[in-house]
Amino acid sequence: MLSDDVRFHLTYSIGKEPADASPADLCRALSLAVRQRLTDVRLATERRYSERDAKRVYYLSMEFLIGRSLDNNLLNLGLRDEAEKLLSARGSSLDSVLPQERDAALGNGGLGRLAACFLDSLATLGMPGYGYGIHYEFGLFKQEIVNGEQRERPDHWFAHDSPWIVEHLDEACLVPVYGHVEHQLDRAGNYNPMWLGWKVLIGVPHDLPVVGWEGKTVNVLRLYSARASDEFDMQIFNDGDYFKAVEQKAASETVSKVLYPSDSLAAGRELRLVQEYFLVACAVRDIVRRYTKAHASFDAFPSKVAIQLNDTHPALTVAELMRLLVDEESLDWDRAWEITRAALGYTNHTLLPEALEKWSVPLFEKVLPRHLQIIYEINRRFLEEVSIRFPGDVARLRDMSIVEEGETKQIRMAYLSIVGSHSVNGVAALHSELVKSTLVPRFHEMWPERFHNKTNGVTPRRWLLGANPGLAALVTEAIGPGWVSDLDRLRGLDALAGDAAFQEKFAAVKRENKVRLAALIRSLTRAKVDPDSLFDVQIKRIHEYKRQLLLVLHVIHDYFRLVQDGDVSGPPRTYVFAGKAAPGYAVARRIIRLINSVGEVIRKDPRVKGRIEVVFLPDYRVSLAEAIVPAADLSEQISTAGKEASGTGNMKLSMNGALTIGTLDGANVEIREEVGPENFFLFGLTAPEVERMRRERSWDPWGVYQTDAGVRRVMDSLAGDVFCPWHPGHFLPIFRRILGEGDEYFHLADFGSYEEAHRRVGETFLDRPAWRAMAIRNVARTGKFSSDRTIREYAEEVWGVAPVL
Amino acid sequence: MQVEERSVGSYTVVTVVDARIDAQGADDFRAEITRVAQGGNRRILLDLSEVTFIDSTGLGAIIASLKQLGPDGDLVICGARNSVGSLFRLTRMDKVFRIFATSDEALAALAAG
Repeated sequence: MLSDDVRFHLTYSIGKEPADASPADLCRALSLAVRQRLTDVRLATERRYSERDAKRVYYLSMEFLIGRSLDNNLLNLGLRDEAEKLLSARGSSLDSVLPQERDAALGNGGLGRLAACFLDSLATLGMPGYGYGIHYEFGLFKQEIVNGEQRERPDHWFAHDSPWIVEHLDEACLVPVYGHVEHQLDRAGNYNPMWLGWKVLIGVPHDLPVVGWEGKTVNVLRLYSARASDEFDMQIFNDGDYFKAVEQKAASETVSKVLYPSDSLAAGRELRLVQEYFLVACAVRDIVRRYTKAHASFDAFPSKVAIQLNDTHPALTVAELMRLLVDEESLDWDRAWEITRAALGYTNHTLLPEALEKWSVPLFEKVLPRHLQIIYEINRRFLEEVSIRFPGDVARLRDMSIVEEGETKQIRMAYLSIVGSHSVNGVAALHSELVKSTLVPRFHEMWPERFHNKTNGVTPRRWLLGANPGLAALVTEAIGPGWVSDLDRLRGLDALAGDAAFQEKFAAVKRENKVRLAALIRSLTRAKVDPDSLFDVQIKRIHEYKRQLLLVLHVIHDYFRLVQDGDVSGPPRTYVFAGKAAPGYAVARRIIRLINSVGEVIRKDPRVKGRIEVVFLPDYRVSLAEAIVPAADLSEQISTAGKEASGTGNMKLSMNGALTIGTLDGANVEIREEVGPENFFLFGLTAPEVERMRRERSWDPWGVYQTDAGVRRVMDSLAGDVFCPWHPGHFLPIFRRILGEGDEYFHLADFGSYEEAHRRVGETFLDRPAWRAMAIRNVARTGKFSSDRTIREYAEEVWGVAPVL
Repeated sequence: MQVEERSVGSYTVVTVVDARIDAQGADDFRAEITRVAQGGNRRILLDLSEVTFIDSTGLGAIIASLKQLGPDGDLVICGARNSVGSLFRLTRMDKVFRIFATSDEALAALAAG
């Protein structure tokens, strides 16, 4: 019985009288009781995989944005009701216990959350899938808003005290870094480069169980922390140099200390390169260890091992696997290369040139001298292949080289990933096309068969069943419970979209979610918002290409229309923003300040009379998203076309019955196709139009400013002190960013079309039956965006893995 | 650095008794090999069966010892535990040295020429 185990853990793991247990104690005891069950299934799952000698897939990612685990684990194990009963018997409830768990924020945003959703789907589908990542001591920073500005605090997420994580010191591995290559001859007189003079780190694995729906499979997310080598420390301690020993230990352990925020110019930072290698070295060693337990040679490696690189962060896998096969296992180069390419797949996540990783050769040589040699050799052979295929085309060789020439040579990690993998995919149909046509067209020309698309997805267990129990119950009542593991069944709701009784129930669920979010908003910001207003939501990392600024410009426009023009058309609106800005990204930080300042001015203006409310919810993270998503009416997916790879927030919101206002960017394109153009508020330039204007340099934001009085009024308010009476000119840099620096992200180019779309949103929202029907159709038609579908596609087309049930 | 030595056939078997060959002991190790070599025998079978850890400085000292023995000398490794053997493979030193599982196996092979 779960209750017996909870009592046991309260007494023996926590050391308290069960009657004195706090909600935090109950959370921990319940988690430990659940972990027991997960452990049983995990061991059985591993036995099953080993007995069948199943092909395994390894998902390497620098980020896993896991969030909280207890509720998800209870749901997937079918223990939620039992847990609720036992807590109720103790005078408590899941509502008070679940928030006690800290989010495991080991990621920045979409890429890390995608990795977590994929692990859920792998386990649900009964596939042997392992995550490999870093056990950061500090996850992504905690965000506080002080005087409207972002402040960062370290997020010590209980890394060493999570009830879910078990350390396996016995499986620790040794990771050499730095050093030099000595050019020697081997016994036969052949060239034999030797990697010597390295320092050594110890990689200690920590396993986090990942349970699938209905609890039949428990896979593992293996996170490594870096430790100093005990032997080194002991010797220095013995010599009496205590401080040196502590310094050395601290330096080694820095490697897994902190997650780098994205957009923080990680490239060029030595520690980040060491982190990336640390992950790759630990993972590859562990993968080979598991493989060689059951196989005497490497012949079967590609038929037993698939490794997926989540972006270029683990791209060093190409060089590390080659090094291990050639140097340690003495395979000849060609055979090792065949094995490496057959085992590896690469997922591209970005088209932004500044986000494509490159490492300077001098830094690379310092940190990984032997790997640099291997990369040079990979590149030499690759360029030879290119020159045979395209004789005399020197420009092509320069363009495609893994080593970028220049004042300081750079290693292009995306190219290394493409050359070293048998599969390259983007994460939405449009994005995958752009990868082929604009990002790496020459590679596509070389190996067209290697490129394909795998549109992202999200797990419906967390993002619908768990986050929106009211809607989940209504859906189950209408079409049965099968949708949880077969999301296409949501189509069954389509027939109910116009059904008045169903609409009423659907609207009641949405209102209840909005009331709950309103209470949360009140507690986080002290703002009082009207649950009957239109909840217009933009929640995501703050970045100029995602265009939070465009929504702010709209809010200002809306505000002036109301207070200066007396226009009261459209419904009252509550604009909900949340998201973190990278600490070093000044413009993004200023946008947060602007959102808060606009909100403050509007709130204090008696003329607004509650028709507009703007809130910025601090510390956006998985658990906050789980509260916002079910309550959203309108989902803002308004990135500059051609910039967003896929997005997954767009899927979560649509799945929960929010209508999308969006550009034809990322997965918006496919969401619109699925839900129907009539259930989607489209606006803005298309990716080819943006590209053409960029190419022709025909985009002139000043032209719009001069001809459109509405735009001028909004922009002038940024140049003046309307929103910053405390510091006139504070938002001038944003004004200049758009009008002085060419509006790189086409805010004003899309502004008119965006306003028009917002006008349609307002009108439709006032037609309640029409809005509800559209919202129901959104839920009904998002089956495609289950990560189960994505994983099935990867499994069949890239990995060659099958369920092992 | 504590070592034991014995002569078997044309080789001197040098057994490292310490558990570690690292930055602290690397110079001592080289000095011991020099001493043995200066004793007249430049063909050494290095028994590492008692060694549990070698750092990169220790590995560098073994390479330097091989060079020091010169073209007429020989340095053969035996008894390396898994943890030590893996470091020889990691650095590709296994391609430079002849490596045997045990001293008996090594001596038999060396005697057979």
